[in-house]
Parts: sequence; structure tokens; C-alpha cells
Amino acid sequence: MNANIKKSCFVLLAFLFLTMLTMAQETVTIRGKVTDKSNGQSLPGVSVVELDKDGRTITAVSTDISGNYLIKVKSTENRLSVSYLGYRSEVRPIQGQSVMNFPLVVNVNELEGVEVIGLKRRPPLDNGTGLMIQERDLTGAVSRVDAKDLAELTATSIDQALQGRLPGVDFGTTTGDPGAGMSIRIRGTASINGSAEPLIVLDGMPYDVEIPDDFNFGSADEQGYAQLLNITPADIKDITVLKDAASTAVWGAKAANGVLVINTKRGELGKPVITYNLRSSLYKQPKAIPMLTGDQFSMLIPEMVMNADGLPLNLQTNKEFLYDPNDPYWYYNYSNNTDWISEITQLGYSHDHNVSMTGGGSKARYYASVGYLGQQGTTKGTALDRINTKINLDYIVSKRLRFRTDITYAYINQDLNYTNGIRSVAYNKMPNMAVYEYDMYGNQTPVYFSPAQNIQGRYTATYNPLAMAMEGFGKALGQRITPRFNLQYDIVPEWLLATADLQFDINNTKFKNFLPQDATGRPFTESVVNSSADQDLDRFSVASKINILFTPKLGEQHTLQSLLSLQTSDDKNERQYTGVTNLASSILQDPAIPARTATGTLSASADQARSMGLLLNAQYGFLDRYIFNASIRMDGNSRFGPQHRYGYFPGFSGRWRVSGEPFMQKYARFIDDLSLRASYGHAGHAPRSNYMFYNQYNNFDWSYLGMSGVYPSTMALNNLRWETLVGSNLGFNLWMFKGRFRLDGEVYRNRTKDMIYENLMLPSYTGYSSATFNVGTMDNQGWELSLNTQPYKSKNWIIGFDFNIARNYNVVREVSEFFPRENSAEIGQNGKYKTYLQIGNPFGSIYGFRYKGVYADEEATIAKDAHGNPIIGPNGQTIYMRFNYPLTDYVFQPGDARYEDVNYDGNIDYKDMVYLGNTVPKYTGGFGLNVTFKGTWRLQTFFSYRLQYDMINGGTMNTTNMYGFNNQSTAVLSRWRNPGDQTDMPRALYRTGYNWLGSDRYVEDASFVRFKSVTLRYNVPNETLKRFGLKNAAFYITAENLYTWTKYTGQDPDVTIRGNVDPFKYAQDNNLTPPTKNFALGITLGF
Amino acid sequence: MRKIKYICLWGLLPFVLFTGCNKWLELKPVDGIVGEDFWKTKEQIQAAVMGIYASMLQEPLVENLFAWGELRAEMVTSTGRTSTDELNLMQANVLPSNSLTNWAALYRTINYCNTVIEFAPRVKETDPTLTDDALAAYQAEAYGVRALLYFYLLRTFGEVPLRIKATASDETLEQLPKRSKEEVFAQIMADLNQAEPHAVTSYGNQAQDKGRMTRYTINAIQADAYLWMDDYENCLKACDKIISSSKFGLINAEFQSDFFNTLYVKGNSNESIFELQFDAQALNPFYSMFIESNRHFVASSLVMDEFYKVDLTDLTNYDRRANGTSVRASDFLIWKFAGATGGQENMEIKVLEDSYTHWFIYRYADILLMKAEALTWLGRGAEALVLVKRIRDRAHALEETDTQPSSENPQSVAEFILNERAREFAFEGKRWFDVLRYAKRNQYAELNTLLETVVQNAPGNTQNTVRNKYRDVNSHYLPINEYELQTDKELIQNPFYK
Repeated sequence: MNANIKKSCFVLLAFLFLTMLTMAQETVTIRGKVTDKSNGQSLPGVSVVELDKDGRTITAVSTDISGNYLIKVKSTENRLSVSYLGYRSEVRPIQGQSVMNFPLVVNVNELEGVEVIGLKRRPPLDNGTGLMIQERDLTGAVSRVDAKDLAELTATSIDQALQGRLPGVDFGTTTGDPGAGMSIRIRGTASINGSAEPLIVLDGMPYDVEIPDDFNFGSADEQGYAQLLNITPADIKDITVLKDAASTAVWGAKAANGVLVINTKRGELGKPVITYNLRSSLYKQPKAIPMLTGDQFSMLIPEMVMNADGLPLNLQTNKEFLYDPNDPYWYYNYSNNTDWISEITQLGYSHDHNVSMTGGGSKARYYASVGYLGQQGTTKGTALDRINTKINLDYIVSKRLRFRTDITYAYINQDLNYTNGIRSVAYNKMPNMAVYEYDMYGNQTPVYFSPAQNIQGRYTATYNPLAMAMEGFGKALGQRITPRFNLQYDIVPEWLLATADLQFDINNTKFKNFLPQDATGRPFTESVVNSSADQDLDRFSVASKINILFTPKLGEQHTLQSLLSLQTSDDKNERQYTGVTNLASSILQDPAIPARTATGTLSASADQARSMGLLLNAQYGFLDRYIFNASIRMDGNSRFGPQHRYGYFPGFSGRWRVSGEPFMQKYARFIDDLSLRASYGHAGHAPRSNYMFYNQYNNFDWSYLGMSGVYPSTMALNNLRWETLVGSNLGFNLWMFKGRFRLDGEVYRNRTKDMIYENLMLPSYTGYSSATFNVGTMDNQGWELSLNTQPYKSKNWIIGFDFNIARNYNVVREVSEFFPRENSAEIGQNGKYKTYLQIGNPFGSIYGFRYKGVYADEEATIAKDAHGNPIIGPNGQTIYMRFNYPLTDYVFQPGDARYEDVNYDGNIDYKDMVYLGNTVPKYTGGFGLNVTFKGTWRLQTFFSYRLQYDMINGGTMNTTNMYGFNNQSTAVLSRWRNPGDQTDMPRALYRTGYNWLGSDRYVEDASFVRFKSVTLRYNVPNETLKRFGLKNAAFYITAENLYTWTKYTGQDPDVTIRGNVDPFKYAQDNNLTPPTKNFALGITLGF
Repeated sequence: MRKIKYICLWGLLPFVLFTGCNKWLELKPVDGIVGEDFWKTKEQIQAAVMGIYASMLQEPLVENLFAWGELRAEMVTSTGRTSTDELNLMQANVLPSNSLTNWAALYRTINYCNTVIEFAPRVKETDPTLTDDALAAYQAEAYGVRALLYFYLLRTFGEVPLRIKATASDETLEQLPKRSKEEVFAQIMADLNQAEPHAVTSYGNQAQDKGRMTRYTINAIQADAYLWMDDYENCLKACDKIISSSKFGLINAEFQSDFFNTLYVKGNSNESIFELQFDAQALNPFYSMFIESNRHFVASSLVMDEFYKVDLTDLTNYDRRANGTSVRASDFLIWKFAGATGGQENMEIKVLEDSYTHWFIYRYADILLMKAEALTWLGRGAEALVLVKRIRDRAHALEETDTQPSSENPQSVAEFILNERAREFAFEGKRWFDVLRYAKRNQYAELNTLLETVVQNAPGNTQNTVRNKYRDVNSHYLPINEYELQTDKELIQNPFYK
């Protein structure tokens, strides 16, 4: 921190000193008049400015009511500049004149915005470091999305908006609750370390979106709180994704997972333009899987228990199924047909208002915006409020000196449920139970029916979902202020530019939650009753960047840009947690209220991390055909011990513009650009935790004999090294027909060496169970293709078609011998699939049994050999099919699930497990069709797809297993009940049997194409606008998730493996409802 | 030329800053202490030594000691809530995946001992007020705990890896093979001999004398370990060191409720030698094991029927260690850890907040009975019987339990002592080790006693299988947990479980 300030001060002083040198001494008075040239009227209030040779303002005055001015200039060498809104500015040298009149000419064109169309004239791409490289000169694998393309989506944060639009960038959907985050994966997961999220660079400075691990969201999901929400989509100008290692190498240590560069809008020269955006959306939960009614459920459960142990369910101790009107309390409360899902579901909506103002003169430009988002989720108790403000100011002090200052503030108030399991509990909840308690006389009371315990169990296994949604809460309150200062100084104009950036990031999050007694029904002696927690996370970070950009003019044939950059960052986190339980009432919800303190907890922690990077980067172009880029970055990080503190990350890349060669000139008519690219680079990854290279000591939080005890809590990890990603990329660009056809392709391999793994098991005689080590090497390889075309274009019609496709797979090449080789699923464990880590084979393969329906009767359970003849025992006895002999030795009964006996030994065991599929999609991508009519109507569609992969249908598995007292889907109505029943739904069996082992019964081909969004937009034509005095106006309607084409029978095939990366995870769709359908209406008005 | 100078100047600036920044990247945690800043004062040594003891209160160490010492024997039986792993251990169905074969809790504390032994001497460099004696006394406590825990490992697993270096950094990690029982025993003895001369005889405070390692605790472990290795001479010597100190005695059991209160509820009595000091801050794990309605274990009916017995003719004649002390006969609760009050009337059960009965590792009664056992096999049966009688008289043991062994027949005296130990130390985590020690003596001469013990908890149809399993003496030791085999390629699974 201290060093940071010192450094910044030094740079500032250096700039000031340089500018002071140019001060002159003499004073001359000049007078004159400013008039309108066309009619000679005097213009009052016009500013008259003395400029030095660099265009820096020396003195300034304004004209009086009759247009006269008087100015004392410092030097007659300088010039006078007169500018007035609506008139063309004039600059004239003084050259000893004492009277200078300025007749100004009305400027008609100045205020007309010039829309830049066409590829070659797009602004240069910004990879965030400061080098400005034209898109056609890029050497690495980079994709860009203009925010314009995303403007109409209902998305509240950019991750939702980008889904499916960039080849090789995979966005995993999460809960769909307001403010929920997504997992972003650029070219797969490059690490088996927990975090695989990319680095976000916002306006040239790294932007932290990770919440520290030890911040505890209670039972809510940490994914539920997305820091990306702090960036309003409306403020974004463009988003660039750096995918290959050579492009990301400039960001070094943080960039192994790819980089997302986000630039926000800045002020533009011209009259103030006020834009108002409104977007109103509706979210609707589609129909869920049909579940059993209370009556059907009450038939199923006693049958399930009877099948399990041959004894009928004891209705005297389980009065839930008694249905006896003589026992009125139980009768009224347990004879309902409750639809728990619709009880907790509501129609979601959001309205998003955004007002921005942009404009500026020759000296100062501004972009300011303020936005409000109000959203209500589709589950009761979830909502989101967000307020964002942003001011981006650019001030041109002189031709050589400029500064920028940006201030962003975001406030987020997110209402979550106490736990994110409410929806699944609602699906499982017994439907014959009442929502509100009935009294003895059958009158419904306003009290939630929350028994302490019933046949389904007790909290945390089950509870009244509506009470939990309405009375329990988790509240996230976030405030983030990001002031940023930037100075630019042309040391040698056009040749050498120095910039300095300083950014502060103050990010405070508070999370409160409360679990009321009336949701759980538990007695007051228990510590879960009325428990309340309040925690704070205060983060403060300072980042600085000093760039020196050297762009010599080397003549027509050569171009060179080179950059020296020094970056530092310093992050501090402080956390506090207060928790109490047994508050006296469900209305007292704050942990500051005294409670039974014996169960309260109080904790605090703090940590700090620093990093610095030194980057040298140069791009050289020869004859506009041969382009090379080389960079080297050195990174230092406080998370490593002295031996491994610094990492070096080089990158090389080149581009050969084939179309620029003389022999290609004959095709120049229709080929704009044909280029081949190649790149190679390194990027790094530091561990997530701080201080790991210290042998740390900690205190026990209890004493021994009244004396406090200290113990070594961690060992020093002196051998921990940088995780390094070595990536190579081959690409080509084919751009034709003046931008109407554009094809970009990439092939890549990213090899992650020295993978950091946080929980490698250790022999416990060391005193520790696990520690972080560099464990091995993993490859991510694949290819990407993206196509942008305008196949038809006429005066009135423009039809555009975009398409992208990507393929990526993950292979472990080498891994520590101490790394486990298979997941812990054991044979006989229902609902689990076996997965293995195989060196050299892609991830995601699952193994299990083949499901062959149900044993209809006893005869069907006779074991048969390969020829279909019954197997006879040594004494001539009949052999029946068994499970896992001799360890488990269960004899299959009629009505049980039948698995294929692959080796015909009459025994279903490990040897009958076969390959069932792979849950990693082979191809992912999206495509869209856009139609524009007369420039006023525009229809945009977007489809996303994933192809050739399997999904485990967890929804079906959980709603047809008939294994516990959870509610089941109506599919179980066709279950096996009597010998001879021909069905493929096994019998109900309470907590026993092997009816839902991991088998192909639940593995389905999940390839899908989803009609993700359609937007119809009307841009009001210019003539109409003028009549209303508007600058621009547009209206649009959008619908999302309208239809999905798939063979998959579950609810949502678009499920990715979420959370921490683990080679044994497989994708399982536990959704019981398809993704919400969203409808939005939007208005944009510019004044 | 000027331009070049300019460029050089600007180019140099970052490098100048960079060198200063190496220091800037050096950060230390604010909410913990790092190793290089620790070990500066004698108070820190004391805190680290207390950390050793405090860690023994952490789950699942005491659960392990209870499970290893009781579940395979016959005095404890299962309830509907007994976990599968616990049930499998009780029914001789132990696999390397069983969580009760995980020895991590013991090695964690051993690492804390190693740390004190290795790093405490560094304090001498910075703290001149640390005397050699004080340093040696602190280290003696660490040596003592390490020996005690290795002794548990020796009895439970037989062959275990010996880690006697502190794990301070990943550079000190190593792959260790198992060591033979003799090598483990030698290590235990080396530690105890190292500790004995330096350990204090008193900390000047009753609670500390019972909750920390004293010289007498060291002697008690020595006696126990020598007895395990059938070295009766040395066992006798060690016992005599304690007895001759005259610092310990037996608590009068005339009034059962007082006896229960003094010895068990309050703890740290005159009879105690070493016990783990659970308190209101660090509750013991017994509430969920024995007390709440989901309890995992209750006493077997054998405890009252076979071990203590009941004098139906005179109900005022009862063993003071039976109903009201060790068990509650009405519902078989393990009263030793569940009771707030003892005695046969008015037995109040503990609530969660008060569940801090200590865990008893050595009591004076143990010393007397260990001495008796040693005397028996030294051919001094008569002296042994005198000691046993002292224990029995104190407890008002019933006549029916007196087998009247001949002092000339060591086997019958030993069997008598074995049963007396069961009565005296019921549920104190000793029964299985006692039975195994008794059975394995003289090349498993008394294997049958062990077989009859282990079948008690086995379901009827598997009793033969269980008996056959335990005939292989390798099965008397637990397998190495599969997790250890995965992480240490040098380890070889114990013979019975390969």
C-alpha cells in the first residue's frame, strides 16, 4: 500500500514537473468580439482560450453580453481558440495582434454521430494492456462481442448475456434465481485446482469477481451471489475474450483460465445525448414433472414399507396415513392434495431502467449513467435490487497531457432463501400434508404446519417449504466503489507515450441469514431454532499500472508498437462473522439481540495478497503482411515462498496475411483478408490461499486446564510452484466480400503443467490429512470455428447469419501416484455411477449396469447361462439371480430391477459394469439469423446447442426410485405390484434393494438445440424522430427459451458440471422444471 | 541522443521500483503465528505443550480409544443407531474402508509432540529465563504423550509407521514403511526412558497433576507396556515406583454416590493418575455415544449378569462399581459417562452442557492390578491375590464373583485378575486390550477366552465365522485404512486383510 502510493506520487510529480517547464513570463492584453458570421449578431458567453503549442490551456475568459472579451495572454507565441456549441471552433495564432475578432460559422455536421460500419474501420482491439492493435492485425485467438448485439436480452448480468455467443467459451447455467452467477469456462477447464474462472479485465485493470473461500453463505449457494452483477450491461461498449496462451501471456499469472476484457462506454464529442433504456421482463416457471397427489402418495408409501420387510406400516405410530376422521387433528392435516411446487412458485418479473448522458467538447468528455434494476424471482422470497452509477470523464489538458477519471458505484440488495434446497424439498414433500395447520375442528389456521418431525424425517432433511421461503431468509448486501485515475503523457508525441493508472476498489459485502423456528418446527432446546447470522466481508484493493508505449514511425513498410508495463496489485480481505441461535422469537432476527449465547459463534479473519508484473510486449509488422508479436512477463506473487515467488511467462505469435501477397492480388476483388496465425505462450496460475509457504501456528478455541493451547496448523509448502499453462494455437481468418463473409478458425492445445491440487491426501502419520501440491499435467485441446455472413443484402433487406462451433476435450497426461484413480462410488450404492481417471483418456466417461426392465415373476429371476438355459447348482438346485455374491449376496425378487448379466454367471457384480456414455459434450456452439428491413425493423434470433453427449437424468432417478418417503412422479403409477405385471417400473421398496443402481436407465442422449432468444426491434425512422425532437428511439420485444429440440426426456439437458473441478464429476440433471421462459419489452429513447 | 536518454531513464524506472518490491511481496498472516516467529519464549513452549493435550480432546481421538478398547469385546452392545462401521467392528467384519481403522487422530497429536520435541530447544537461543530443567520437563510431557499414543497404536494395529520428526514443511515429508512390533515397542520405551528422569512429580496443583504427564504417568505407561510385552520384572519395578510414592490411594466406596461423584463426575481424585480434562468449553463425545436418544452404545446384559452379578438375597449387598456406577441396570445406559449423579437411587442423567466427564487413562487401581498380574507370572501369586482383594474390598465385590483361585496356579489367578479388571475398568477402553493380552500370553495359550469374548456381539448365524476369523491371530489387529495405503506406497496391508 505504502509503496503503491509512493510510486503513484512519484509519477504524478514527474508529470507536473515536465508541464511546469513550459511556463512563460511576458503578459500582453488582447481584446475583440465574437459574432455569428451569418447575421453579425454578437455571441455572449463564448469561451476564448489561450493555448500553448501543445494545445494546453493557459488562460481562458468568456465574452460578455455583447460578445466582447478581453484576455491577458502569457505569450504572443501562443494561439487563441474560440469555441461555442453549435459553431465551428476557430484557432488563430496571436502573432502580436492586440485586437482579434472572431466571426463564427454555424456547424451543421458536428452533432451528427457518424456510425462506423464495416470491419476495417472498427476501432482497434484493446487487450487491456494498452497496445491498440487493429483486429485485422491480431496474431492470437481473440473474439469480440459488441454490446449492441446483446442490448435486447433480458439478462441482468453480462455472463447471462454472452452465453453461446463466443466459440470456445462455455457458460454454465446455475439456479436461475435473481442475481445468480454462472460459471465461465474458456476452452475447458485448464486446472484441477478449484477455480477455473477467467480473469476479468475492466477498462484495462483486473477486476476481482471471486469471493474468498472462507466467506460462508450458510446453506445458500455461493454461486448465488455474482460479483459480475456489479457491471451493468448497459454501460458496456464491448467485450473481448483472449483465448490462446500467447494473448493471455500479457496478463501472466492470473490468465491461465483465459481473459475477458470488458470496456465501458466513454464520452464522445458532441452535444449532450441523453439515453433512456427500459427493459421489463416476465419470468415464468414452466410446468414441472407431474407428481403424485396426496391420495396416490398415501397408497404408495404403505405398499413400499410392506414390500421392504413384509410387515405392514404401523398406522398407529404413523398416523400420517391413517385417514381416520375420528382422529381429527391428524385427519385434517394429513388428508390433503397439496401441490407444494405451486405453493412456492410465483411469476417473476424485472424492470431495468437506465439513464445515461454522454457528450463533450474539445477539452472534456463525459459518460455518466445511473441505473436501477428491480427483480422478483420465480421462487417466493427471492428478489434483487441493484443501483449502479458510473461516471467516465476524459479531460484533455493539452495535446500532450490527458487524464481520465472514472468512478463506479454499485449497490446490490439480494434476497435469497435461507437455503437453496427449497425447490427440491417442495418436490419431495408429502402431498397429503397441509400447508397451514388445521385445528381439531377442521378449520384452517394462519399458522404454518411445521411438525417437529413426521414420517419423512425432520429438519434438515425436510421442512415446510413455504414457511422456509416466506419466513427464512438470506440477504446479501453489496456495495462496491471503484474510483480510478489515469494520466497519459506524450513524452515524444506520436512516438512515446507514458500512462499511469491507479485504481481503488472498495468492495463490501454483508450476508445475513435467519432460520425461523416456524419453518423447521424443532423444539427450542435445539440449536437450529431461530438461528441468525451476520457476516461482513470487507475488501480493499489498490491496483496500479504504469505503461510506456513506444510507437516509432519506421516508414511505410514497417510498423512497430512496443510496450513496457509495470503492474501491481494489493488486496486486503477482512471478514467477521457473528452467529447466535435460540433467539426468543421468530420475529427477533438479528444476531445483535441477546440469545442463548452458549451456541453463538463469533469469528474474524483477515488476509492480504500482493502481486506485481513486469511486461514487455512488442508487435512488429512488415509490409502489412508479416506480423509478429512477442511478449515476456515476469510475475511476482506473495502467495509463494521465496524459492518460487517469481514466474516468467513468454509468448510469441505471428500472422501471415496471405491475401496481401502479390500473387493473391487477382483475388483482391472479393477477398478482404486471408491470414494464417500461429501462437505459443505461457500463462500462470497461483494458488488461491495466502500464506501457504509458512508453517503456521494457531490457537485451539478451547483451553486445557485453563491454559490456552497452540498447535501447528499448517506445514510450510516450500515446494509449491506456479501452475503453468503452455498453449499453442493455429488459426486462420478468411474475410470476403467487403465484410459480408467472415470465417475464423482455431486449433489449439493447452497443456497445464504442475497443476496445483489443493487437497492431495497425505499419509496421516504426518499429522495432516491433505495439503496443496503440484500434481501433474493435463491437456485441453480442441478447435473452434466461427462464421459471420450476410448472404443477402439489398436496399431494403439485409439478412445475416452467424454460426459458431467448438470442440474441446480434457485429458490428464500425468498425475501424482497419490492422486486417486477412481471415484468413491461403491457397488450396490443406488444412484451412483462409477468414473475413473485414466491417463490419456478424456474426462467424463461413466460406467454402470445395463437396465433390462423388471423381473415379472419368480421364474424370471432364475439365473440363465449364455444360451438361455437355467444354471443348475452342484446339487441340482435352481439358482436364482444374485447381487454381488458373496459380499452382499442379495437374491433378486419378482418386481426388482433387472440388470444385464454380461458374463452370464448368475451374479450381478463389478464384472457386469460397462461403459455407459460420456457427459462432456463433443460440440458446443450457437447460431443466429438476423433480418433487417429498411433499417427500421430488425429481427434477431439466436440458437444454442450442445451435441453428442449423455446426461444422467437425475430428475427421473429421484422421482421414480420409490426408496424413501419422498414424493414421486406419476410415472410410478405403472410400478410392478403383482407377479406377472409387465412393466419397466420396479416395485416400491423402502430403503432397501438395488432398484436404482447407476445404469443406462437414466443415461440419455442429451444433444439439444435450443431456441434461446428472438427479438423484434423497431427503430423509429429519422423523419418521425425529428417531429418529436428525439435523437433516436427504438422499441423491442424479446422472448427467451421458447423451445428446445432434443431427444432427452428430462427437464434441462443444458447442465454443466459446476463448482470445483474434479476429474470424477459427471453431469447430472436434477432439474424437475425446464428453464424459465422469459419475455421482455424494451424501450430506448435518446434526446 | 536526448531521446535515447529519455527512453533509458523511463526504461530503468520500473527496474528500480522492482527491486524494492521484493520486500513488498513478503506478507505474513495477521491472524496466526508463523513458525519462524514462534519458539521465542518459554510461555510459547507451554502453550504448545497445552496444545498437545487440548488436541486429545478433539474428536475422534477419544471415540477411537473407546472403540478400539471396547467394541470387539463383550461389555458393550449396539443399538438401532450404531453406525455401520461400528457394527462391523463389533461383529468382526472389518474392512480397510472402515472409518474406525483411521488412525489420523492419534498421529495428529503425535505430530504436535514431535513439534515440541524438535523445536522447543530453539527457545534457549532467545529466552535466557528458560532453564534446562524446565525445557526437559516440557519435552518429557511430549515424549510421554507420544509414547502413550504409540502404545495405543501398537496394541490396535500391531505394526505401524514410526514418525518421530515434526512435519513443519513439505520438504520433511517422507514415505514410511511399517515397523515391527518390537521396533515400535523400542521406540515407546526410548521415549519413556527419555521422559522419566525429567518429568515433574507435581505441578503443584491437583488438576494439573492429573491432567498432565507426571513422572508417575510415565511409570504407569511403562508398567502397562512392559506388561504387554510380558516383561514382568520391569512392570513390577514401574508399578512400585508409583506405589512407593504414597501419593495415590483408592477412593472409599462405602457410599456409592460419593464414590461416583468423586471418582467420575468430578474427576481428578486422589486415585487418578492421568485423565483427559474435558470441560464446559470442550465437551466430551459421550453425549451422542451414550446419552441422547440416538445413542450408539449401551452396556451388554452380561455386565450385570456375568461380571458384577446381583445378590438377590440381600439387595444392600452390591458391588459399588455395578448398577449406579458403571451402568444403569434398568436400561443398560453406560452410566460411568452418562450419569450426573451415582448411587442406586435418584440417578440423574447428564444434559449436553454438562457432558464433560473426563476420559480415564490410568488410575491407581490399574497400577495395583497390573502389579498383581506381574506378580502372578513371577510366581508370587499370593502377593497378587492380596492386591486383588484390596480392590475387591474397596468395591464391595460380591462373593459370587470370587473364583477363589489357587495362588499356585498363575493361570487361574490371571483369569481372576482379568475378570476383576473388567469390573474395575468397565467401559474405560481397556477390556479388549486386557483380553488380548491375556489370550496372547504364552503363544496364545488362552485363545479360547478371546474367542468366547468376541462371539458375544455376533449374530447367531455368524458366530462360527467370527470364531474362525479370530483363530487367525493376525485378525486381532485392525487393518491399515485404505486411505493410508493410497497415500503411502511403502505401507503393506496387515496380513489378515491382504
